Amino acid sequence: MGLAGRAILAAALSMPILETARAETVPESAVISYKYLDYQESQLGEDRIGVKARAWSVLLPFAGDWSVQATYTKDAVSGASPRFWSKAAASMRDNREAKDISVTRYFSHDTLTIGASLSDENDYRSEGFSFAGTHSTEDKNTTFNYGFAVTNDDISSNGLQENKRKVDWALGITQILTSKDIVQLTVTDVQGKGYFTDPYKLFDLRPDSRHQNTAQVRWNHFIEGSDATLRLSYRYYTDSWSIKAHTLGVEYVQPLPGGWVLTPSLRVHDQSAAEFYVNPADFPWTATYSSLDQRLSAFGARTYGFKVSKTFDANWTVDVKYEKYLQRSGWRLFGQGSPDIDPFDAKMFQLGVSYRF
Amino acid sequence: MRGRTTKLSLLALAMLSASGCSLVQPVQPWEKGMLSRPEMTFETDRLDAAYTEHVYFSKEAASGGSGAGGGGCGCN
Amino acid sequence: MSDTPFRFNFSAMGSPCELLICADSRAKAELAAEAGVAEVKRIEHKYSRYRPDSLVSAINARAGSGEWSEFDNETAWLLNFADTLYSNSEGLFDITSGVLRRVWNFDKALIPSLAALEAVLPLIAWSRVEIKNKAIRLPEAGMEIDFGGFGKEYAADSAAVALQKKGIAHGYVNLGGDIRVIGPQPGDSSPWKMAIQDPRQRDEIVATIPVFQGGLATSGDYEKYFEHDGRRYCHVMNPKTGVPVSYWQSVSIVAPLAIVAGSCSTITMLMEEKGGDWMKKSGFSYLGISNDGNRVSS
Repeated sequence: MGLAGRAILAAALSMPILETARAETVPESAVISYKYLDYQESQLGEDRIGVKARAWSVLLPFAGDWSVQATYTKDAVSGASPRFWSKAAASMRDNREAKDISVTRYFSHDTLTIGASLSDENDYRSEGFSFAGTHSTEDKNTTFNYGFAVTNDDISSNGLQENKRKVDWALGITQILTSKDIVQLTVTDVQGKGYFTDPYKLFDLRPDSRHQNTAQVRWNHFIEGSDATLRLSYRYYTDSWSIKAHTLGVEYVQPLPGGWVLTPSLRVHDQSAAEFYVNPADFPWTATYSSLDQRLSAFGARTYGFKVSKTFDANWTVDVKYEKYLQRSGWRLFGQGSPDIDPFDAKMFQLGVSYRF
Repeated sequence: MRGRTTKLSLLALAMLSASGCSLVQPVQPWEKGMLSRPEMTFETDRLDAAYTEHVYFSKEAASGGSGAGGGGCGCN
Repeated sequence: MSDTPFRFNFSAMGSPCELLICADSRAKAELAAEAGVAEVKRIEHKYSRYRPDSLVSAINARAGSGEWSEFDNETAWLLNFADTLYSNSEGLFDITSGVLRRVWNFDKALIPSLAALEAVLPLIAWSRVEIKNKAIRLPEAGMEIDFGGFGKEYAADSAAVALQKKGIAHGYVNLGGDIRVIGPQPGDSSPWKMAIQDPRQRDEIVATIPVFQGGLATSGDYEKYFEHDGRRYCHVMNPKTGVPVSYWQSVSIVAPLAIVAGSCSTITMLMEEKGGDWMKKSGFSYLGISNDGNRVSS
């Protein structure tokens, strides 16, 4: 066979015509990303906790049917931590380091992922192991998602040494409805046992178990005329501390010529108070458990966000996101907010860079 | 009243079928172009999602929803 | 228990198409046919230059704008294949030559003026197309690429693989004359006898080529053409002169893949009088009928 014939045949035989199509496909390129976060809270005009974080993430496909994903995050927390019910008290400074890694194997209609995570602060250490998988139907319009994880946390502060463990289960189904619509329904169950009390808060004593459940539905809809995508999500949350919450998220992704993408977003959250949450005005309280933690009170919250990203040269992407978070007890949609809580605000700024190779 | 409810239900069912719900007409492989756009999948920007989930986990009582696992921290 | 042949006819890529599937039940054959047709349509939708939302249309729309268009692995391989064809045909197989369609019109038998040709010829320049990593850019406005030169053959190979994945071992995919045979006839394993159309008499057969397995494709000057002043103008054009080739009436090649058979038969047509030599050196089986009616075969 002559040179030309051989060259043409060789080029043709290197084609993936014999490759099995995958439901969840191996990533086509490796990606490395960096993201910086600047988070600042304020209450009644006073700055409270500030966090500056840096995170790196790498995604590498390898050996044809595998991929590995690893993330490293470093947080530096500073500012006044809330101690006695909304009023700032002791100042604190802490650093946190979190790492996680996961490996995925891809099959023609299935994927399997195992992962491990580790998070370290000077008074808190969390280790976790997870296992997840997906299974798609023949036409790949329906995918079942399942996952299982265990986490072990060790708390050691002010001389105390405590522990808490949790077991997570997740089950979901993703369904392609039309060429422009895809929906996903997920339910989760989390059982936690151990020390839940916040050692930094006065009058805080919580039960030694927490059973949580969520049901979440997400829907992505493509709008042909403008090439935009509308992303909606709703999550219902309930737990054994009698907390019930609703969270609704809306994002509108608008690509523009030149590789720009603009994404305004809105998130609305509503939660009831934990059954042992108490209002200091009701002092003394006689229940076994109590907490003044504003995070367990009844309130409504809104987040307004805007993200801009630009892709250069097909391989580099830069993105900037700004979000304003507002928490108000008077903003509940499904009941009464907890009384006497000061409004809480936070601003989040993210700057990220990503390279595909 | 009952008759009207039945008519409305039938109309809703007809509209649902006509709208191309996959229960009636599965989406064909060559029609899935739009669905492969990154913003149409459920895997968003991983680091962005990690940061925002962490913020909400430490400022609100509810958490989770999308899957199992994810490390803990002392912030809640 | 011998397999029975089942035929499935459909239309795609502007041609009549047929899947001949040998299976032990109609249900199994139908399942396979569905997968085969789906694969042909997927490729048609993805690479069609007629669909404004196809990948190729998006790349062409950005010609001259400086913007890069990203592409996936499948497109990367097709572009690499196009480049290999360009290098092995002395630059005659050039996927940017589609611009000639703007100045030639086969329905109206329109021959372009020299000025019209000179306006489009500079846009035919595969060597100037910029490709890096997973992105492509056409440097000049008006340039375009299209996979019409081997799109149908690629679809035939892909459909054949889709059938094989459904357990089919005997049969073939025929997309408007571009054929990929999966395996010989069931039972006695005799080859399929493929008829080659007489290039000058539509309903006559000029030869039958036996194929056990692999691709068979035919390029000819009779699919799309017009005649003027005793000269035939066909749709296969020399990208350097902008004028149709005329040496061969028909070239058929058998090669392991339809995409190889199809692109080699087109290259032979483009090589004109050097085509006979090129076919002989290629190592593939061939049958060529030159414009004086003479045949050359392997």
